[in-house]
Amino acid sequence: MAVITSQPELQLVVGTPHTSSSVAIDHIQNSSCLSTIIARRIKESLTSILTKFHAGYFRVSLSLGGQALLWKTLIGPTDDTSTLRLTLHMFHPTAFTLLWSFSFFTLVLLSILYLLRCLFYFKMVKEEFLHRVGVNYLFAPSISWLLLLQSGPFFTPNYHYSYVVLWWVFAVPVVVLDVKIYGQWFTKGKKFLSAVANPTSQLSVIGNLVSAQAAANMGWKESAIGFFSLGMVHYLVLFVTLYQRLSGTDRLPTMLRPAFFLFFAAPSMASLAWQSIAGSFDTTSKMLFFLSLFLFMSLVCRPTLFKRSMRRFNVAWWAYSFPLSVLALASMEYAEEVKGDIAHLLMLLLLTFSVLVSITLIIFTLLNTKILLLPNHFDHIGSFLSLPRVSPLSKKTTTTCV
Amino acid sequence: MSAAFPFLHYPRCGHFRMDHGEHLASVELQESPDEVQSLLKLISSNEVAVFDSIIVESETSNFSNQINVSQPTGHQRKPSISISMPSSPTAASSAGTKSVFFVDDNAKGFRNGVPDSSVASNTLSNTEAKAVKFLSQPTRKGSVFAEAAKIRNINQQPNIKKLKDKRFDSFKTWSGKLERQLSNLRRKSREIESEENCVRNSENEALPVDRYFDALEGPELENLRASEEIVLPDDKTWPFLLRYPISSFGICLGVGSQAVMWKTLATATSTKFLHINPIINLILWWISVALVAIVASIYLVKVILYFEAVRREYYHPIRVNFFFAPWISLLFLVLGMPPSVTSNLPLALWYVLMTPIFCLELKIYGQWMSGGQRRLSKVANPSNHLSIVGNFVGALLGASMGLKEGPLFFFAVGLAHYTVLFVTLYQRLPTNETLPKELHPVFFLFVAAPSVASMAWATIQGSFDYGSRIAYFIALFLYFSLAIRINFFRGFKFSLAWWAYTFPMTGAAVATMRYSSAVTNIVTQTLSVVLSVVATLTVTALLVTTMLHAFVLRDLFPNDIAIAISDRKPKPHKKWFNLRHGSSGHSRDIETFLKFASADRKDIEAALKIPTEEATSV
Repeated sequence: MAVITSQPELQLVVGTPHTSSSVAIDHIQNSSCLSTIIARRIKESLTSILTKFHAGYFRVSLSLGGQALLWKTLIGPTDDTSTLRLTLHMFHPTAFTLLWSFSFFTLVLLSILYLLRCLFYFKMVKEEFLHRVGVNYLFAPSISWLLLLQSGPFFTPNYHYSYVVLWWVFAVPVVVLDVKIYGQWFTKGKKFLSAVANPTSQLSVIGNLVSAQAAANMGWKESAIGFFSLGMVHYLVLFVTLYQRLSGTDRLPTMLRPAFFLFFAAPSMASLAWQSIAGSFDTTSKMLFFLSLFLFMSLVCRPTLFKRSMRRFNVAWWAYSFPLSVLALASMEYAEEVKGDIAHLLMLLLLTFSVLVSITLIIFTLLNTKILLLPNHFDHIGSFLSLPRVSPLSKKTTTTCV
Repeated sequence: MSAAFPFLHYPRCGHFRMDHGEHLASVELQESPDEVQSLLKLISSNEVAVFDSIIVESETSNFSNQINVSQPTGHQRKPSISISMPSSPTAASSAGTKSVFFVDDNAKGFRNGVPDSSVASNTLSNTEAKAVKFLSQPTRKGSVFAEAAKIRNINQQPNIKKLKDKRFDSFKTWSGKLERQLSNLRRKSREIESEENCVRNSENEALPVDRYFDALEGPELENLRASEEIVLPDDKTWPFLLRYPISSFGICLGVGSQAVMWKTLATATSTKFLHINPIINLILWWISVALVAIVASIYLVKVILYFEAVRREYYHPIRVNFFFAPWISLLFLVLGMPPSVTSNLPLALWYVLMTPIFCLELKIYGQWMSGGQRRLSKVANPSNHLSIVGNFVGALLGASMGLKEGPLFFFAVGLAHYTVLFVTLYQRLPTNETLPKELHPVFFLFVAAPSVASMAWATIQGSFDYGSRIAYFIALFLYFSLAIRINFFRGFKFSLAWWAYTFPMTGAAVATMRYSSAVTNIVTQTLSVVLSVVATLTVTALLVTTMLHAFVLRDLFPNDIAIAISDRKPKPHKKWFNLRHGSSGHSRDIETFLKFASADRKDIEAALKIPTEEATSV
C-alpha cells in the first residue's frame, strides 16, 4: 500500500524532466531559445545522475585509492633487495603522481556528487542508510579519502599538521557510523546482526582498520590500537556469523556477488594495520595474511558463484578491485619480510592480477559510462534504489525485492 | 460398498490383470512406454501394498525386474529400468497404489463378511507370496496369491545372480555404464521413459543434503527413518565393498595416535621416570602402517568399483568429514615414526601430505561460506572437527620438521575456521539438524582441535608459551566436562567410527605430556600418566569390542543404509490414511489397516526366515 502511494510521488520526480522537455519543445517552436534548452538538458541529466547515484559508486574511488597505495608502497623505500622489487622500483614517480591525481579527481567528483545528493535528495540518502547493504557503503567515502591521504605523494606521514587534521576529518564519520551500526547489531529490534549480516558488512570493519593504519602511520599509536581492536572484535563476530550463513545466501542479490571479495579484503587490511602498529610484519600479520590468501583461493576456485553477476557490466564489478589491491599490498609486505622466492612469486602474481583487474575495470567503465548513468538502467547496490520505488514506510517491500 | 470404496474397481482390474499381468507385461514392454508404465504401475500397486514401506521400493524394482526377466526372449532386462523404477513410477504412484491396495483388501475383508479371516487369508497368502518373493528376490507378488505359484516358477531361474548384480549396478562405476551401453545397443523401440529415467539417474548424481536429513536420523546420521526407503534391498547382505564405510579410517586414526602417544611417553622429559620402552612405539607404528595400508587399499578398490557409493558418502553431511581421515592418519604415521626407522625426512614429504588436505579444505570451507544447501548453520556437527584438526596436525608435523611458513599458514586457516565451528556448535542453532540431542562419543572430537593446536603452536613458537597454554587449558576443560558425563554415553550402537573418537583422548594425553615437560611438577606428571592410561584402556576396550563384532557377532560391517537412501521422498502411508479417514470415517477400516500393518511386519520377518532355507535349497 505504502508503495502505491509513494510511487506516483516519486514518479513525479522522473516525470518533471519529461514535462519540462515537452515544454521546452514548445518553447523551441515558439522562440528557439538555445540556452534555455541547454540549461534544461543539463538539469535533466544532473537530476537523473543524482537520483541514480548512490554510495556504491564509491567502489571506484576505493579501488583507485587502493591501487595508489599499492604503487606508493611499491616505489617507496624498502628493505627488500630482491631483483623483482628493484625492477618495480623503476616505476617512474611521475606515473605514480598521475595515478594519484586521477584517483584524487575521481574521488572529488564523486564526493561532490554525493554531497549534492545529500542536499537535494536527502530522502534517498536516508533510504540508503536504512538499507542493510547500503549502510555499509556509507563507509566507502571515508575509506577512500583515508587511502588517498596515506598514499599522497607529497605527504610524509610524520606529523604533518595537515595530515593530522585531515585524518580527524575523515575518521570522525567512521566513528559515528560505527557507534550507530555496531550498537544496532546487538540492541535494536529489527537490525540484529543475524538479520542484517551480509558480506558488505565487512566494509565497516575495513573502515576501522584503515583508520587504524593511517593513525599508526602518523604516530598515534593509541588511536591506532583503539580502532584496530574495535575493528577486529566486530570482525570476529561478523566472520562467524557470515560463515554460518543462517539465512542461506543472505538474500544478497546475485548482482552483488562481487562483494564476496570483501571476505579476503578484511584480513589483509587487518594484517597491514597490525604491521603499521607493531612496526614489522610479525606472526599475527602473517597469520592474517595467510587467512586472507586462503579465502582468496577459495573464492577463485568457485567461479560459478560469480557467473551470474558477470553478465552485464555494472558498478558492482568495481568491488573486485579493492580487495585484490589490498591483498597484493599485504603480499608485498610479506615478501619483504620473508625474502623467499615463492613469496616474491606470489607477490608478482597478485600484483599483476590486481593491476590487470583495475585496468580492465577502467576500460569497461569508460566504454559503458552511459550504462552507469542512464536512469532506466537496472542498478545494483541492490535493486532497492531503482525499479520498485520504495518509500521509507515500506521496509518490507524493500527486503522482499532484494 | 462400491460407493464407499471408490477405488474398488481399480484394484480389481489390476488384480485380474495381474494374472495375465506378467505375460502382458512381457509382451507389451516392447510396445509403448506409456502402456508399460501404467502396467508396471498396476503391477507395482499390487506389490507395494503388501509390505511396509522400507522394502517397498526395492521390491517394486525387483518385481519389475522380474517381469523383465520373465520375458520369453530372456534378454537382459535393462538394468536401467529395474533400477530407475523405484525413483519414478513407484514413487509417483505409490500413494495411489497403496490406497488402491488397501481398498481392495478391506473390500475383500468386508466382502467376505469376516474381516479377520480374509485378512488372515491375505496374510497367509502374503506369507506365501512373500516366500515366493524372497526366493526370486524382487518378486513381491503382493496380492497375486493364485499367481504366486506361477510366478514362482517363472521367477526361479531368472538369473537370481543377475538380479542381484543389477540391483547394485547403480552403485557401480563402469559396470553400470557398460550394461547401459549394451542395453542401448539392443533396445530398439524400448520404453523411452525408462531411458529417460536412466539418464535422469545419471544426471541426478548429487543428492541434495536435505535428502540426507530427511531420510536419516541418529547422532551419526546412520539410521533410516521409519518413513523412508532405500534403493537397495534391506533383507540381503550387500557386497562387502558396499558395506565398507569411509569411517573405517577411524581405526587408522585411533591406532596411529596411540603410536604417537607411546613415542612421546618414551621420549618426553617429564615421563622419562616411567622408563617406557621405545619398542612399544615401534610395534604400534608397524601395526598402524599395516592398518593404513589395508584400509586404504580396500577403500581404493571400492573407489574404483563402486564410485557411485563413494560419491554418496561424500555427499553425506557427516561422512564427508571422514574423507580427511586417511590423510590425517598418514600425518600421524610420520609424526609417530620411531627414530630407529629413519631420522631425516625430506621436506617435500610434508608438502605432498598436505596437498590433499588443502584441496579438500578449499572445497568444504568454500561450501560453508558460499551459503547454499551445505552452509554451516545447517550441517554443523561435531564430526566437522575432523576437517579442522587436519590443519593443526599438519602444522605440528611441519613445525617439527623445521618448516616455518607452511605450518603457520595451516595453523592460521585452521584457527579461523575452528573459531567459526566452535561458536556454531556451542550455539546449537535450531536450524541445525545434525547435532545429536543426546551425548554421543562423537562429542569427544571437541577435545581434539584445541589439544593439537596447543602442541602445534608450541612447536611453531619453540616453547610452550601462553598461546599454547590457553589452548591446552581449553582442551582440558572440555575433556573433563565430557568425562564427567560418562554416564550419558551409554546406549549407542557400536560403529567403526568410534575409533576416530579415541584419538582426541590420545591427543589430550600427548598435549599434557608436552605441557608437563614445560611445567614439571607432580600434578602435571600424574595427569599425563592418568590420561595416557585412560587413553590406552579406551583403545583396548574398543579393540575388544571390534573383535567381538567382527568374529562373534559378525556385524562389524552392516548394510550401509546411509548411502542407499532414495533420491526422492516416498509418499507416506499416512496421507492415504488421513484421506480415508476423512472420506469414510470408518474406524473399522483403520483397525483393519493397523492390524494388517502390524501383522505384516511380523509376517515379513517370518517369511524371511523361511525363504532363506528355500533359497539355499534352490
